[in-house]
Amino acid sequence: MAQPFLKKDDDHDDEVDYSPFLGIEKGAVLQEARVFNDPQLDPRRCSQVITKLLYLLNQGETFTKVEATEVFFAVTKLFQSRDLGLRRMVYVIIKELSPSADEVIIVTSSLMKDMTSKTDMYRANAIRVLCQITDGTLLTQIERYLKQAIVDKNPVVASAALVSGIHLLQTNPEIVKRWSNEVQEAVQSRAALVQFHALALLHQIRQNDRLAVNKLVSSLTRGSVRSPLAQCLLIRYTSQVIRESASNTQTGDRPFYDFLEGCLRHKAEMVIFEAARAITELNGVTSRELTSAITVLQLFLSSTKPVLRFAAVRTLNKVAMTHPIAVTNCNIDMESLISDQNRSIATLAITTLLKTGNESSVDRLMKQITTFMSDIADEFKIVVIEAIRSLCLKFPLKHRSLMNFLSNILREEGGFEYKKAIVDSIVILIRDIPEAKESGLLHLCEFIEDCEFTYLSTQILHFLGIEGPKTSDPSKYIRYIYNRVHLENATVRAGAVSTLAKFGAMVDSLKPRIFVLLRRCLFDTDDEVRDRATLYLNTLGADGAVEDMKEFLFGSLDIPLVNLERSLKNYEPSEESFDINSVPKEVKIQALAEKKAPGKKPTGLGGPPPAPPSTIDAYEKLLSSIPEFANFGKLFKSSAPVELTEAETEYAVNVVKHIFDGHVVFQYNCTNTIPEQLLENVTVIVDASEAEEFAEVASKPLRSLPYDSPGQTFVAFEKPEGVPAVGKFSNMLRFIVKEVDPSTGEAEDDGVEDEYQLEELEVVAADYMLKVGVSNFRNAWESMGPDCERVDEYDLGPRENLAEAVNAVINLLGMQPCEGTEVVPSNSRSHTCLLSGVYIGNVKVLVRLQFGIDGPKDVAMKLAVRSEDEAVSDAIHEIVASG
Amino acid sequence: MLLAILISNFAGNILLERFNGVPSEERLHWRTFLVKLGADNLKGARNEELFVSSQKSVYIVYTVLGGVCIYIVGKDEYDELALTEVMFVITSSIKDACGKSPSERLFLDKYGKICLCLDEIVWKGILENTEKDRIKRLIGLKPPNPTEI
Repeated sequence: MAQPFLKKDDDHDDEVDYSPFLGIEKGAVLQEARVFNDPQLDPRRCSQVITKLLYLLNQGETFTKVEATEVFFAVTKLFQSRDLGLRRMVYVIIKELSPSADEVIIVTSSLMKDMTSKTDMYRANAIRVLCQITDGTLLTQIERYLKQAIVDKNPVVASAALVSGIHLLQTNPEIVKRWSNEVQEAVQSRAALVQFHALALLHQIRQNDRLAVNKLVSSLTRGSVRSPLAQCLLIRYTSQVIRESASNTQTGDRPFYDFLEGCLRHKAEMVIFEAARAITELNGVTSRELTSAITVLQLFLSSTKPVLRFAAVRTLNKVAMTHPIAVTNCNIDMESLISDQNRSIATLAITTLLKTGNESSVDRLMKQITTFMSDIADEFKIVVIEAIRSLCLKFPLKHRSLMNFLSNILREEGGFEYKKAIVDSIVILIRDIPEAKESGLLHLCEFIEDCEFTYLSTQILHFLGIEGPKTSDPSKYIRYIYNRVHLENATVRAGAVSTLAKFGAMVDSLKPRIFVLLRRCLFDTDDEVRDRATLYLNTLGADGAVEDMKEFLFGSLDIPLVNLERSLKNYEPSEESFDINSVPKEVKIQALAEKKAPGKKPTGLGGPPPAPPSTIDAYEKLLSSIPEFANFGKLFKSSAPVELTEAETEYAVNVVKHIFDGHVVFQYNCTNTIPEQLLENVTVIVDASEAEEFAEVASKPLRSLPYDSPGQTFVAFEKPEGVPAVGKFSNMLRFIVKEVDPSTGEAEDDGVEDEYQLEELEVVAADYMLKVGVSNFRNAWESMGPDCERVDEYDLGPRENLAEAVNAVINLLGMQPCEGTEVVPSNSRSHTCLLSGVYIGNVKVLVRLQFGIDGPKDVAMKLAVRSEDEAVSDAIHEIVASG
Repeated sequence: MLLAILISNFAGNILLERFNGVPSEERLHWRTFLVKLGADNLKGARNEELFVSSQKSVYIVYTVLGGVCIYIVGKDEYDELALTEVMFVITSSIKDACGKSPSERLFLDKYGKICLCLDEIVWKGILENTEKDRIKRLIGLKPPNPTEI
């Protein structure tokens, strides 16, 4: 809870410290609400009770269904009163109580009477209340009045109807869309707010009709829009039209740009700002176009109004990400904002300066930031840290002063997220700037001497284990690491033991000393610490191959932990030891599409039905239990279910593609959605004429498919061993259909053979790729080495945007995006995406994609592939070339 | 969409709140966040001095009015400048309803009237009225000034 703070304009003449709602209690107020039933209504008293009800509701108090119904029925009695003040309160409380559909009926006639009243204000309020509590049926009855209200000469009535329309569009779009003509008329209204509401509604009605939005914008940009709010909406819609039409422009002229530029001279600041922002966000904005927008934003930077300063610096901050040079003119104004009382403004100014500054200004900026950091909250500090990290990567020569800054703030007070941001930054700088490595590692070592966050300590220890042994003098880190064994909790101690072992493995000269330290850890109070020490002493002391030991200590666990956990839980202790190679590597576990029907009759023995299989393991078990497929070997991959029928058809069928080394099995999951039918002998007839390398070898029909009880039928194909064959398959569901008597549930004896056409199915290259992530792509890439690397460039042709191109390539390859690189920042002109996977034959593959987009949206891509087998690297290129 | 209007006293107690399109499980988070934002920044603030902040894609404009703190949260077309407009209407209507910048007590005394004002200003997350004189007439069910029609 916030601490009380000083009041500037305290009203000493009021009786303070006493609330009219002191001790208010829901039960008592509900009792008081009985006053609404009095034959002689006291409007003042009734208004007071409604105010108390509103106060309770505004405090987050809730009424039970019974309570709300009781109050609602009582409130409806108040329509008898002619008191205007009370009637207004009644409208509000009905909206707040939100009566249910069966209760609404009691108030409908009163509200409809008010809606057709001669008193304008009754009409406006009744419209708002009716539209809040109405359903589709009632809406059709009152539609005529609403259409009239939209063009009512009283702006309050018109606005009420228009805003109702905006809300109703979510629930009853087909009705509201019929009001287009009236709304169009309201757009021309002289009343500013009516125009604002009408424009918003008209755009929502027409938003999916590009041509209609274009016409709307064309007509309004020529005419005069009265309300600044409406003008802002128009600017937004105009930007949308520009965005969508830009790719069609041949001449290079930007449509409606003059309108946007004209808005920069509008008298309302809101409009000027909206126009400036719209210009800065234009696709492929030129520096000439940017200049006019940035000039007005620069003026806002020195405004006396904090909101304008904030809006301007926020927009410039965004521009600085893509066009830093264009913003440099504002740097002097922005520097003065570092001392702005509003810390949000100051933070935005700092981070913008960090993006636009040049190498020579770094030191001066860092001085200013040092004083600034002490008086801002952690969330702002994190933003600054991230900006400093980017700056350091931009100017690596400045790493010394920036690293010093980071280490200084690391010593100061701060929460976990803040400290984590600093540590992450230092780690990234160490990885990307080799010269910063030694000093960075020492800063981290000093930090763990006094670190209160277990997570950060263990992360740093892990990082030290990888980077420390590669430095010129690894021994200087040992003291910091071993101190953890004495001073920290068990988790950190265990981490420290692992790190010590890594130093021992990598630095021969340190090995004897590490042995001494590890032996001391054998007496630790914690099991995990002792176990690790024992394990590492044995591993390091064994005579085995050095490479095996290093792989054990440094190799990444290329199995998703969730899968490992599940496999361990499923493992039943036996003679046979647990085999880590049996753990599936697929990241995304697909649940089996088929579900056991709820309420299915128990099995004959009355025992519990087997739990529904839910993992790839389950697929493997299922397939190996079918004798025809038992000798296909190890299952490489099972795809996500692909729908072969439209939703809500008579028979729902989807297919899962199971890939083996020399076979492919299609598992058709079928559901019969017709209660009056029983299907028997269900098979899928597959035509593989467009899949030349595949030959059908087995088919397993489904004996019986009753209503709503899914079942599977399988078809297996042989294909060349280890070859990623692709092809197209057409499918026909064939079955015998028997009529079922719904009353008895019994099927007739005789059935009729029937067929049902299914959609086509494709086996694509991505089906031969497992999505397997790596924890550190850079390390994985470097350790894979360039021996089997293949690099080539591709022209992907015109694309909607970069994100679309990136997604298309990821889907084509079916690989796992790493380090969040599948996300493309908006307006990016270039992007790098990192992918990893395992190709059929268990070959690890890493891919580095570099995309660039030019003016007419032509996307070019550089594809670098590294794998353990050059044939596989070539195969990846072939997939892209033919895709 | 105007996601929230929240009015608290200086101790952080909520006097009035209206959420639109905010799931009930997120409301507590917003309440706590806004009150903390006020506690961090509104100390010693001038009456009606505007403060502004943004949290991801959401904008927040807040201020002190007499003895109460007012917070408005918006997104999309309700950015910081549109929220300033909304804030101006709210503060001037509250002052109108109370006769001056209200103390907490005065605010609670005029609670019913203020609820009506807010009902006229914002309806389910959309700004409906922006002129205090018109709002003053509307809450008494009087039509707007004839010159407006």
